[in-house]
Amino acid sequence: MMSVAGSISPLVAGLWLLNIVLDTGGQLAFKAAAGDEGAGDGLARWKHMASRPWLWLGVASYVIEFLVWIAFLSLIPLSEGVLLGSINIVAIMVAGRFLFGEKLTRLRVAGILLVTLGVVIVGVGG
Amino acid sequence: MKRFYLIGFLLLMGFDTLAQISFKYAGTQALPVAASLEWVLRVFSQPWVYGAVIGYVGAFFTWMALLKHAPIGPAFAASHLEVVSVMLLSIWLFDEQLNTARVLGAIAIIAGIVCLGMAESREHVPEAEPAPAEA
Repeated sequence: MMSVAGSISPLVAGLWLLNIVLDTGGQLAFKAAAGDEGAGDGLARWKHMASRPWLWLGVASYVIEFLVWIAFLSLIPLSEGVLLGSINIVAIMVAGRFLFGEKLTRLRVAGILLVTLGVVIVGVGG
Repeated sequence: MKRFYLIGFLLLMGFDTLAQISFKYAGTQALPVAASLEWVLRVFSQPWVYGAVIGYVGAFFTWMALLKHAPIGPAFAASHLEVVSVMLLSIWLFDEQLNTARVLGAIAIIAGIVCLGMAESREHVPEAEPAPAEA
């Protein structure tokens, strides 16, 4: 639409960052909700999850993210938007590494670097 | 069984693609963007936003069904490769142009996703092997 190559406005950049925070935060909240020891099984597990904030934090993040993503895509071309959004894959893996001590193997690091490189190319060059 | 995976992956990509296309239509029709209730109401007052919801819900259940049987690596890659289908469709549907930066960026991102999928496959390999010592 109206976007010229390389013209990412502050609003678009802000929505992009907010989307990363909400997506990663939502996933981590779901992880915390699902990984809770002693939550039981079946219905008891769901009741346990519903009585604690993590599940709801995750749901709230995703609802807001839904709107943020719509706003983001309405301001830039879709082909550019989906590529820039790929950074969420990187964010969640890095967060998993720091918060849950998940392993970053050499292949994973290569994947993370390639995705990041791709996002930078698109961000700089439109 | 191979066909089951293939259909599953294509379905997953299809739902994800539907969601992104719908997001774009929904957002465009709700312009201008504003942090206001009016904007949210504009978003939800036209049908495309519900296409996005269907895409998301469909992708979620397809993903869950796939994960029960399919290897995680290819499933991970397939769940993110909708960037390709979305890019191609946006040329046709929204008259967008693929400039050099987008094509190069997409190649790097796809290569990265394939690496990450392969990393997942490697870590989960032992699960696929049946234990021969039993029985």
